[in-house]
Amino acid sequence: MATIKTHSNRRSFLKLSAAGGAGLMLQFSWFSGLAKNNPNADAAYDLNGYIKIGTDGTVTIASPNPEVGQNVKTSMPMIVAEELDVNWKNVKVVQAPLNTDIFTRQIAGGSRSINESWDALRMAGATARHMLVQAAADAWKVPASEITLDSGVISHTASGKKAEFGEMASAASKIEVPKEVEVKNIEDFKIIRHSQRNVDGPDIVTGKAIYGLDVYGDDMVFASIVHPPAFGMKLSSFDAKEALSMKGIYDVFTIQPYPEDFERGRFDVSAFPELIVITGDSTWRIFKAKKTIKVEWTPFDSHEVKFEGEDASDHKVPSGKENTDDHYAEMLKKSKENAKEVRKDGNPENAFSNAAKVIERSYTAPYLAHSALEPLTFYANVTADKAELIGSIQTPEYMEQSVARRLGMSLDQVDIQMTRIGGGFGRKLFGHYLLEAAVISQKIKKPVKLIYTREDDMTFGAYRPTYHAYYRAALDENNKLIAFHVKTGGIPESPLFANRFPAGTVDNYLAEEWAIESNITTAAFRAPRSNFMGAVEQAFLDEVAELAGKDPIEFRLELFERAIENPVGEKNDYDAERYAGVLKLVREKSNWVTPEPSTGRGVAAYFCHDSYVASVIDLKMEDGKPIISKVLCAVDCGIVVNPVAASNMVEGGSVDGIGHALYTILTLKDGMPQQHNYNDYHLIRNYDAPRDVEVHFVESDIHPTGLGEPPYAPAIGALANALYNATGKRYYNQPFMIDVEEKYLQKEETV
Amino acid sequence: MDFKGQNVYFFILLLKRYPHGQADLRLYTMKESSSLLKRFLSKGNSKFIIAIVSVSLIAMAFSVKDFRPGNDGYTSIPTENDQNKEASEEAFEQVYSVLMHPRCMNCHPIGDIPLQGDDSHVHNMLPQRGEDGKGVSTMKCITCHAATGVPGENTPPGNPSWHLPPADMKMVFQGKSPRELALQLVDPEKNGHKNMQELREHAVDTLVKSGWNMGGDRELPPLSYEEFKEVWYTWIDNGAHAPSE
Amino acid sequence: MALFDINVNGQTHQVDVDSDTPILWVLRDNLKLLGTKFGCGIAHCGVCTIHLDGDAVRSCSYPISAVENKKIVTIEGLSENGDHPVQKAWIEHDVPQCGYCQAGQIMTASSLLAQNSNPTDDEIRRAMNGNLCRCATYTRINRAIKTASKEM
Repeated sequence: MATIKTHSNRRSFLKLSAAGGAGLMLQFSWFSGLAKNNPNADAAYDLNGYIKIGTDGTVTIASPNPEVGQNVKTSMPMIVAEELDVNWKNVKVVQAPLNTDIFTRQIAGGSRSINESWDALRMAGATARHMLVQAAADAWKVPASEITLDSGVISHTASGKKAEFGEMASAASKIEVPKEVEVKNIEDFKIIRHSQRNVDGPDIVTGKAIYGLDVYGDDMVFASIVHPPAFGMKLSSFDAKEALSMKGIYDVFTIQPYPEDFERGRFDVSAFPELIVITGDSTWRIFKAKKTIKVEWTPFDSHEVKFEGEDASDHKVPSGKENTDDHYAEMLKKSKENAKEVRKDGNPENAFSNAAKVIERSYTAPYLAHSALEPLTFYANVTADKAELIGSIQTPEYMEQSVARRLGMSLDQVDIQMTRIGGGFGRKLFGHYLLEAAVISQKIKKPVKLIYTREDDMTFGAYRPTYHAYYRAALDENNKLIAFHVKTGGIPESPLFANRFPAGTVDNYLAEEWAIESNITTAAFRAPRSNFMGAVEQAFLDEVAELAGKDPIEFRLELFERAIENPVGEKNDYDAERYAGVLKLVREKSNWVTPEPSTGRGVAAYFCHDSYVASVIDLKMEDGKPIISKVLCAVDCGIVVNPVAASNMVEGGSVDGIGHALYTILTLKDGMPQQHNYNDYHLIRNYDAPRDVEVHFVESDIHPTGLGEPPYAPAIGALANALYNATGKRYYNQPFMIDVEEKYLQKEETV
Repeated sequence: MDFKGQNVYFFILLLKRYPHGQADLRLYTMKESSSLLKRFLSKGNSKFIIAIVSVSLIAMAFSVKDFRPGNDGYTSIPTENDQNKEASEEAFEQVYSVLMHPRCMNCHPIGDIPLQGDDSHVHNMLPQRGEDGKGVSTMKCITCHAATGVPGENTPPGNPSWHLPPADMKMVFQGKSPRELALQLVDPEKNGHKNMQELREHAVDTLVKSGWNMGGDRELPPLSYEEFKEVWYTWIDNGAHAPSE
Repeated sequence: MALFDINVNGQTHQVDVDSDTPILWVLRDNLKLLGTKFGCGIAHCGVCTIHLDGDAVRSCSYPISAVENKKIVTIEGLSENGDHPVQKAWIEHDVPQCGYCQAGQIMTASSLLAQNSNPTDDEIRRAMNGNLCRCATYTRINRAIKTASKEM
């Protein structure tokens, strides 16, 4: 059995509390795992979760994590319950309230939720268990070591004594918190590794679950915004006479959520520092009236935006109204110029010039709007001494700081409460809408709910960046990969991960990057940068394998062999054995060697967010559109805490990747986003979704890692390769169902 | 026989490659017949692999009026003459420009899914026609199209009887030449069993009218509604002629 | 403004709103029935789906003037105890991820099964094609409908 410390130096991750009344209430830090790498991180010691065992035996576990659909609200308490040895059916999970006396801060989850809290959750459960056992030992006057515990029942075999948790709860609260506790052997898990359904399921299917849009305060005013229709523009003047004459409209005014000299936090991304606000008595009336506001917009000059913090750097915002076809042309041009070398092994140029075969290919991907179904919205009630903010936000801790600074308040005065989040995909990390709601409320001195229309949400920016990648590979006369070159970039960032596969598997390797400035704002999007790199690298390797005359899985496995036996370089960001492991599993489960007749089949594997995913896709073309009969995934994410939830995440992540790669594109003309709503922004629908997604996990005792993002990129790679096998055509430009080349790549010569 | 000044009709029995192999019995003028025949014989047209089972050259000098099917009491169509024919055909050119406009054609698609938008793309969400033209189960027209729509740029236009032509008479506009469309419009077996009077009155149907008030930024048909009504009546009142190919 | 009488989940409510107000916003802003969500406002996402005289319709595209004298059922009124076969199947298959679209999905699915108690896979996919799910839970939605159909 392993032991886990409940203290670090003189600070504790645990505390007994009287707040629970009778019974045992043990507060603990959900994020104590952070202390391992950073013992000075205050957050590691914040007591932001608790276990409460009532005298009636009910066990309540409070989860403080934002729930975006990654199911942490179920999976994380499962870990606590496992170590506590309670029957899962008797566990109630609640969303921890925030900013009460108990809970002062919290950190949003993301793909690292389980990864970082694993030890902490086990510690908390094991500590409560230890205290219950000790209480029973004291009461029965027997050694604690002779006491066994099973599904909420404490027993001592020799004396025949038995007690329910509830009977010992109050006594347990008098036991001293141990300095370290033993945690279970992995093979003894009864809850972890067993599927438990979403604890919020019953509320969701009856419409009772509360999201940000569902917050209605007393005497609340409804507000919406009007932002510039184009990037590169700012407000000049407006005329709201007609709107103000409409029924139920209170006011039309401007706000500056981000004044010029304001030091923005990391997640304060907004291209529109000044906005028009309309307020009224109902959502429909403000939506209707805002369309009548006549606005003059004017181009802005190039300027800088200030960011605060350790990695503070002023961000340059160029002027101009940008166009998608110019973007593609600029990217093509950049891809042919010298770029910044990030990693070089061996002598790539020499290898390329002496190669038997050389292949080079280029890939692109467009801007994407995150477009969660719940549009950006937040409730704010700012009074002279307090700011109460409620809604959907993935970064409450960061936004608390921005809001405090912007409103001129202390952190204690800002209270952010989280609802369930109606989809985020990275967009709701960027909380300008929360700050805007706060500024509006402060200005009008009333509680307010700010609601973006879908059109506002889609045209406001903070998109997935647009990318380009150029790949080149060299084979020798034995069809062995002897050189690999990637040169990639994007607007406004490069997506390169120089030390990922195939770095380390080839003697001569070159990774280069470039970037182009832009005033189009961008934001993290499910599997940032990996969502592009993983997809295109795997499509390229498919062509290299074909050129080498090798089976695509065999070809990759040979490379991993090399990385296992004799890796090139030292900084390779992956475990080649686990990587090869998912490929072998997917090969076995998909009957790789004997596919269904008349289907196009493709494979890909990628590693990101500490997990490994290999995908095989089978499809057929019908009326020029792929009908995907199956997506088969093999996944290594260490210990699988909750198989059904894990499988759901892989399923969703795969279909999400496939949908965007097939259909979705956001384009710009004169700085104006050309898609405004789901009528012209095409998301994958039920009829076009894969008919089946099958998920297999590698059995593993390794520390659990993330799942929200890793399946996204390999699904796209496998899709591209399956499309090739079904049509004989390679797909280089996402989205595949749009002729990007014909529509946007014709401007090369004019640059 | 004196064909002069008369529209002489021929029966041509065509075996189209219909799914159920049914024959297609149509009325054609002599001019049409010869061009049809020429086309079929020269092309060996694959879509229309024609076995001209019988070309019944029943060259009977019936007057158009007599031949028009339907309401016996309907006599407002004047006797044919060249001038009327010209006026009718000219008017139909205008009619055609409206009927083939997205506002009209989108609900008269070749397939069983309506079209949508100014570019006439296949309707998002792929709602199907259904037996009665009103959709299927949870994808009926009324799923999104209320009797009165909600104002807005891309909100679904409202109409109390929003529908496509029914499955047994699809009244396809998409892909039709002026001639084909005109012939289809006057054929009760293809126009919803309308006689000339009923066809004439179809111009004031609310669903037809709604092509001009769908709201948002939707492009309007090339004629105003009043102009359309005028050319529609002109076309019919002058003999409902089908322009030549 | 005008007074409208509407029947929602078996109860009659009188509301004082503009005649072009979509029923969605009457349900939410006036009646505080919050299970019906807002996603796009143009009937393209399906999160606002309700039953109107038994038909699944998008409440964002039905003005209040078009629903008087009709029976409205929202997710809150689909079953008394959250035990409609579709709701039970949704739990059994652990369908929801973020869950935001699921009320709309369930309202569409229940209307489908009320009209066609044993739909084919193709009929299910077509019937559900107006309901977007950004978390992409489509395969589970379709499996859950199959399960629910056995109870219809």
